[in-house]
Amino acid sequence: MTQSMRIPAAPIEVLLVEDSPGDVRLTREALKDTKVQVSLHVASDGIEAMAFLEREGVHVHAPRPDLILLDLNLPKKDGREVLQEIKQSVALKSIPVVILTTSASETDVLRSYQLHANCYISKPVDLDGFLKVVQSIDNFWLSVVKLPHEAPS
Amino acid sequence: MKTKLSLIRTMQFGFGAALAILLVIGVVALLQRNLDTERRLLEAWTALGLGSVVALLIAGLAGWRVPRTYAARGRADGAFLKSEDQLRILIEGVQDYAIFMLDPQGTVVSWNAGAERIKGYKADEIIGQNYSRFYPQEDIALGKPEEALRIAAASGRTETESWRVRKDGSRFLANFVITAARNSSGTLLGFSEISRDVTERQETEAKYRGLLEAAPDAMVVVNQAGEIVLLNLQAEKQFGYHRDELVGQRVKNIIPEGFAERLIADGTRTAVEALAQQIGTGIDLLGRRKNGSDFPIEIMLRPLESADGILVTAAIRDITERKKSDEFLLKTVGELKRSNDELEQFAYIASHDLQEPLRMVASYTQLLAKRYHGRLDSDADEFIAYAVDGSNRMQQLIEDLLAYSRAGMDGRALQKISSDRSLQKALANLRLTIEETGALVTHDSLPDITTDDTQLTQVFQNLVGNAIKYRSAEVPRIHVSAAANGGNEWIFSVRDNGLGIDPKYFARIFVLFQRLHGRDEFDGTGIGLAICKKMLERLGGRIWVESQPEQEKGSTFHFALPQGVGT
Repeated sequence: MTQSMRIPAAPIEVLLVEDSPGDVRLTREALKDTKVQVSLHVASDGIEAMAFLEREGVHVHAPRPDLILLDLNLPKKDGREVLQEIKQSVALKSIPVVILTTSASETDVLRSYQLHANCYISKPVDLDGFLKVVQSIDNFWLSVVKLPHEAPS
Repeated sequence: MKTKLSLIRTMQFGFGAALAILLVIGVVALLQRNLDTERRLLEAWTALGLGSVVALLIAGLAGWRVPRTYAARGRADGAFLKSEDQLRILIEGVQDYAIFMLDPQGTVVSWNAGAERIKGYKADEIIGQNYSRFYPQEDIALGKPEEALRIAAASGRTETESWRVRKDGSRFLANFVITAARNSSGTLLGFSEISRDVTERQETEAKYRGLLEAAPDAMVVVNQAGEIVLLNLQAEKQFGYHRDELVGQRVKNIIPEGFAERLIADGTRTAVEALAQQIGTGIDLLGRRKNGSDFPIEIMLRPLESADGILVTAAIRDITERKKSDEFLLKTVGELKRSNDELEQFAYIASHDLQEPLRMVASYTQLLAKRYHGRLDSDADEFIAYAVDGSNRMQQLIEDLLAYSRAGMDGRALQKISSDRSLQKALANLRLTIEETGALVTHDSLPDITTDDTQLTQVFQNLVGNAIKYRSAEVPRIHVSAAANGGNEWIFSVRDNGLGIDPKYFARIFVLFQRLHGRDEFDGTGIGLAICKKMLERLGGRIWVESQPEQEKGSTFHFALPQGVGT
């Protein structure tokens, strides 16, 4: 059993796909107080997110993220497309994707789950709410949940 | 005297035969003349029937009389007198026709009941007088009475339709036939006249003609061959033809091919198969004017059984204007819907997109407040506090605007639901508030209704929530009830013992962001009732309020919803 346990010292790799620097900073602030050591990577649009995940160009040495926080409304390539590509990729589909967006539209919620999003969270409008949400993500996805180490071959 | 008597006797002899011939000829002539319309035909047949009976009787009597005249001249024969009586009675008894004899000069020598009825003279008043007195003065001046006799004498008969004068001087339109009576050697013995008053017929015809011409629609009567047999002024106007150009023409000249055949087929089929039901068939099609242009028409067909077979009466309405206004209405409704949709979309997008930058402002002012409260000077703390408060309120407004623009936007299919359960759900959502305030919420049994459950729940939640929020010093008591309204609607009522509302604000409270209280008294943006109103209106309902704050009776909010199908 012990060999499958996560080594606590190793940082959790999180890819945040978010075009708003304000939100990126807020997420960083919120993650500051977490128990788990998080290594946060940021992609500011859908194209960059896919390049990071596919380890293309400057991202050739990018780590495989343990968790993806994905906004839906992104420039260049929409978050919905990014989600679809991740979930259709044999190599990437085992990475949990948390949709973190301002959209509360039921269509977006339904569509995201149909595209196999692992969970859908509407960004709370107030700071406390937002901090709480990020801490919940941290607590649940990075502590409670057992994540896969590598993609199945 | 002897000669005179002899003449009369001979005339009597010839009378029967002459009258018989005359009647047959007259009726046949009438028949020929009246072939134009079905109505006249029927009339002619009636006349022929009557005429034939009279003619046969007269001919029989006359033929029977000839040998008797010689055999029984001067002898008082009961049977002879009897048949003469019969003849006399027969002729005299005819009421609808004036039948009388004239001598060659036009002097009246016999008179029947019809003549008396139509012309107003009794036999003893008129026998021996010249028949010219039946003519109007101007016709007498023109020598018409003499002319008529001259023509009759020359050609055997004359038929005229012209004005005649009654004893009292009044005029009537008469149709009359004057026939010359001659003996076997060709000597002119006198004349017979058969006439009738056609004023009434003329008036009836004029009435129907007036009706036809006054009709706002084009009226066209078509026979089974597809030929136009009759039309009115509107038809001339609509299609741009003169009447003469259309009568006898094919109806497909004015109704494009394909449609015309349908018209005939539908019209006759209706006649044959469903005459009893008298179906008027409404068909939308195009009419064609003389200049070749088309226009939309609507046709009502009505079969008409006539002596000439089935005729189809078509009422043709030019619906160009109606089409135009229909299209305009449709276009306007479409534009309105589009502009409404755009507005909704606008409100949604605006509020949604506004929220993003605002979230940044709010989050970072809140972060400032959180991290730096007490670490800067007191002015900084105050400024930051106002910035935080302002951005919070702005956020609430935008959120509410978003909620309002979304309200009722989801086109959920209406379902039969229990309004009781909707209320229960609303009360469950309000559980904390109800517990905190100790509010007592009661309700009657509430009906099943075909509507949207989510929205009904929200309406209950807003109304009960308001009733608790705007409570008086007393413990809030809220009662929810429902009553059927004329079988079409359910009227729900939420009654409270709260602060009440001044009637002058009854309309205002349902308007978006309208508030009656300061923010220091009650929080909120003034969205709840506006959302209720919008949702209810989308569900085909309405909302209103009753309140008597001066009597401290609280308020009652009523809302009506259609009962829907199957409830």
